[in-house]
This record gives sequence, C-alpha cells and structure tokens, in this order.
Amino acid sequence: MVLPYVILLLAFGVAPVVIAIATSLEPSGVNPDGGLGNYLYALTEFRFLPAAINVAIFLAIYLPSMLLVVVSVALMLDNLKPKVTLPLRLAYIVPAALTGSLSVLIWYILLEPTLSPYKDLLIGMGLTKSGQIWNTGNLAIIFVMMAFFTGAGNWIVVQYGSLQSIPDDLIEASIIDGASKFQIAMQIKLPLIRKYLLYMGVLVFAAGLQIFVEPQLISASVFPGLASDWSLNQLSYTFAFASNNLAGAAALSMVLLIVCAVAAILIVFKTDFFDRPKKAGRSK
Amino acid sequence: MTEKNQGQVLAKDSISPKVKFSFGGVATIIFLLAYAVFSVVPMIWLALAPSKNAAELVSAAPMAFGSPQGYLNAWNNLMTFEDGVLVTWIVNSIWYTFLIVTISSLSALSAGYALASTAVPLKRFLLSVTLVAMIIPAVALVLPLFLEVSAIGAFDTPWAVILPSSFYPFGVFLAYIHFSTSIPRDVYEAAKIDGAGEFATFAKIAFPLSKGLLGMLAFFSFSAAWANYFLPYVLLSSSANYTLPVGLGLLFSSTPSLNPLNGAQSSVIGRPEIALAGLLVGIPILIVFLLSSRFLVRGILAGAVKS
Repeated sequence: MVLPYVILLLAFGVAPVVIAIATSLEPSGVNPDGGLGNYLYALTEFRFLPAAINVAIFLAIYLPSMLLVVVSVALMLDNLKPKVTLPLRLAYIVPAALTGSLSVLIWYILLEPTLSPYKDLLIGMGLTKSGQIWNTGNLAIIFVMMAFFTGAGNWIVVQYGSLQSIPDDLIEASIIDGASKFQIAMQIKLPLIRKYLLYMGVLVFAAGLQIFVEPQLISASVFPGLASDWSLNQLSYTFAFASNNLAGAAALSMVLLIVCAVAAILIVFKTDFFDRPKKAGRSK
Repeated sequence: MTEKNQGQVLAKDSISPKVKFSFGGVATIIFLLAYAVFSVVPMIWLALAPSKNAAELVSAAPMAFGSPQGYLNAWNNLMTFEDGVLVTWIVNSIWYTFLIVTISSLSALSAGYALASTAVPLKRFLLSVTLVAMIIPAVALVLPLFLEVSAIGAFDTPWAVILPSSFYPFGVFLAYIHFSTSIPRDVYEAAKIDGAGEFATFAKIAFPLSKGLLGMLAFFSFSAAWANYFLPYVLLSSSANYTLPVGLGLLFSSTPSLNPLNGAQSSVIGRPEIALAGLLVGIPILIVFLLSSRFLVRGILAGAVKS
C-alpha cells in the first residue's frame, strides 16, 4: 500500500536529483571539461555574488520579521477566547489565496499610487510615481512584503494551533503562581512550542532561499529588467534557458538544494521534532 | 508593534485580568483588527476592480463599486485574448488540480497507513526520507524535474505537471501521525485476528475513520496545486497547456495592462480584465479556505496531532 507513494518518491523526489547531479557534471559550452568545474563556474559567475547578496538581505529581513510578527500575533490571539478570534483568523488566511503570479499583480496594484487602496497613504508619503517605489534599492524590502503578506497568515493560524495544544491546567497553575501574561508567554508558552517555531523557521528559510516567482515576473512583464537575475533561482533559470548551460544550471540548483537538504536533515535528526508524535493535546 | 511593546501590552493586561477593557487588552484588539483589515483589503479590491472600467479604476475611490456590467465587459474582453484561451486555462487548472489532489491524497493516505500500522520493509528509512523531502521546498526540484521531464520526452504535456505535483511527503507525514496516534493499534489487530487482510483492514476500518484526515490532505494539496506557478511555468511551453496562474503571468507580460510598453497598444486587455483573471485564480482558493475553516480553527499542526 505504500507502493504508489514510493513510486512517486522515486520518480519525482529521487530521480530528478540523480539526473540533476549527473547533468551538473557534464561538459558545457563554458566548461568543456565538465566535472566539478560546473560548480566552480556557477559559484564564480559574475552574477552569482550579487544574487547571493540579494537573497541574503531578503532572508535577513524576511525570516526575523516573519517569526516576530507570527509569534506576537499568535500569542495575542491565544489570550482571547477562541470564539472571538475566529473571524480574525479567517481574515488572516485570506492573503494566502493571493499567491504566485496573483501576488505580483496584487503588489503592483498596492504600490501603484494611481490605483492603490492605500493611494492616500502613498501620496501622503510623497510617493506619487511608481518609479519612486519600484527601484533596485527597494526590491529586497518589496519582495519581503510580498512573501510576508502571502505567508504570515497561515503561519499565524498554525502557531495559534500549536499554542492551543498547551494544556490549560499548566497555564492556570502559572496564573495562580502569580506569573504575568508576558512571563507566561516567554517562559512557558514559547519554550513549549519551540519545535514548531524551529520547524517554521526552517521552512521559511528554505522557501525564501528559493525565491523566484516575484522577481522573475516583475522583471519579465511589469518593469522589464528591473529584477533580472536578482535571485539565485533566477540565475539558475537564466543559465538553463537563456545561456543554454544546463550543466551550470543543474550545478547551481544542486547547491541550493544541498543547503535546504542540510537544514532539513539537521531538523529531522538533530532535534526531537519528529520523535514523539504522541504529544498530549489540550483536552477540551 | 515590537516585541517589547507587545510585552508591555500583555503585562499590563495581566495586572487586572478580571477587568475586561484594560488598556493593553484594547490595544491588542485594535492591533489584531487592523491586521485583519490589512489582510482582506487587497482581496476586496480585487473583487471590486472588474466592476469598473480602466478610467474609473483611477478616478473612482479605490473601494467603490462600478456596475455589474463591468464584470461582463471585462470577461468579453478577456475572451478576445488568443481566441478565448482563458477558458482552456480554467479547464486545465480544474482537471490538473483534480488529478493532483486525488493522486496525492490517496497515495499519502495509504502510505501513511501502511507506515503506521503494517510491517513495511525499510520503514525507518522511508520515514526519514519523507521527513527530509517534506522540508525541502518543491521549488528546489523544479529545474531537476525539468531535466528529467525533458529526458523522457514529457515536456509540455499535462502529465509533466500532474505527476510530479502528486508527490506529497507532507501528506504522508500527516497521515502517518494520524494513523499512529488517533486510531488505537488494537483496532487493527482485532481486524487482523478476525482474518481481514491488510487491504481489507484499511478499506473497512482505517479509511472510514479518516474522513477528516482526507479532507485535510485534500485541502493542503489543493492550495499548493491550484496556485502553483513555477513548476508549470518551466515544464509547459504552449499556451494551450497552461494553467490559470501561468496564464495570468502571460496576460501581464503580453498585454499593456500593467506595462504600457508591452504588447499591442490596441489590446483591450486592460487592468479590469487582469483583475478579473486574477480573481479567477484567487476566489477558488479563498472558497476552499473558508470551507475548510474547521481544520484551520483547530490549528493545522495541532490538528494533525489530535484526533
């Protein structure tokens, strides 16, 4: 019964990686010798470092702001009655419907001073032309806003759920002991959902490292060339489809995959996240 | 709001836990409400935009309603794009997504069951690989999948998108947790003693107890598949095979709707039309989210752990 899944796993999980490794060692136009030279080529290509810096800046803003806001909002919700927060939680997941190419469309509109629902705010800030917003220096922060807006709501609901799994009597005992809500949050709730936060951190990091759709669509269609080869995945795409260098593209995508795989293996084998699925839930 | 502010809010709140409207409590609620408004404004804008024409989008108030006729006009204009290829995209998105959700959910359900309650060779190894695969974002495999799909000659076919998207390690994990925690092992053992085979035990006992799980598997599979952009963008090349999100991208790169320098100046595909196409991408996800709010209410991870 496990067979259909194992076939899918081998065909679309393992096989592509094997093929990509093989491809990454083949000779290419820029590296006729093949082998590990393709990796050296990808990592020293003149666009690699700028793209790596872009992604690093993006992650440096995205990851902490995501964790901070998601945890803060989840804790705030957890202090209120579940019935009261239900409409709020439903509202928070609405942006998750605005993903991929639709997210690019939505943010084009939000940041276009003639169209935006927030046009008064933009104009009030002295931003009357989209060119003042959509320029190279602002790209990292714009992509953070896009990714944050789409992703934060779902994670708030997830982490709210993990807070709900903390037994009520534990919290009540702390209140009797005179702990403040802030102390309870910092000393009891957060440590108890630590592994869910870690899991979220790794997933957010891995997804952020692979950023592609937002910069690609912005520069392919809306503002031509604004964010070409802005991210590492875009560069890999350029190697494959613009420079006809499949070996270099495969090498670069393997580097990105290895970083994600190392993060995944660390969380699976070095933490207790997946050890005890029989976690006691909060009894209703 | 910074963590420190929030701390003060929570701390102040706790000084008088019995008083309902403490300053901190009010500030918290205002913040939560403001964030909710901020979350829904773009969706509402998108829903209203096709009711207005291109000029009204700029001149009218951003959240004003134009006329019902606007939606019809925008639709008719969209139909002029490549002989109404939009309809093909909608149909493609529906049947690709339907197959992905079906294959991925059923394969995950049966694999999760088998791993949790039967003797599968290499069980620990399979579980470890599944856990690692579930953390690696699907995007990381797009280029490797392109190499594979081209090598076997499946490039630019619907199966190039449907089959890879049906690989669903997260679903296997959810199902594994479900079957190893919420259904007592004795139930299976009793069935086996009564002479039921593995498959009969699954079909008669485990499956009927797993409707909630199946709903959750389908929900996550749907929300990933419907809006997926990168994989179909790379693995499909002809517009007749596109999905709605990839088509939306094509619409804004080949019409002057968002960038006046793109495409033919005479194109009738303007901003109201783009907004309507965007709405077609977003609304099904939103509807499924709201219908699935039962899972979301209980919390996703916690929900997976609890029965």
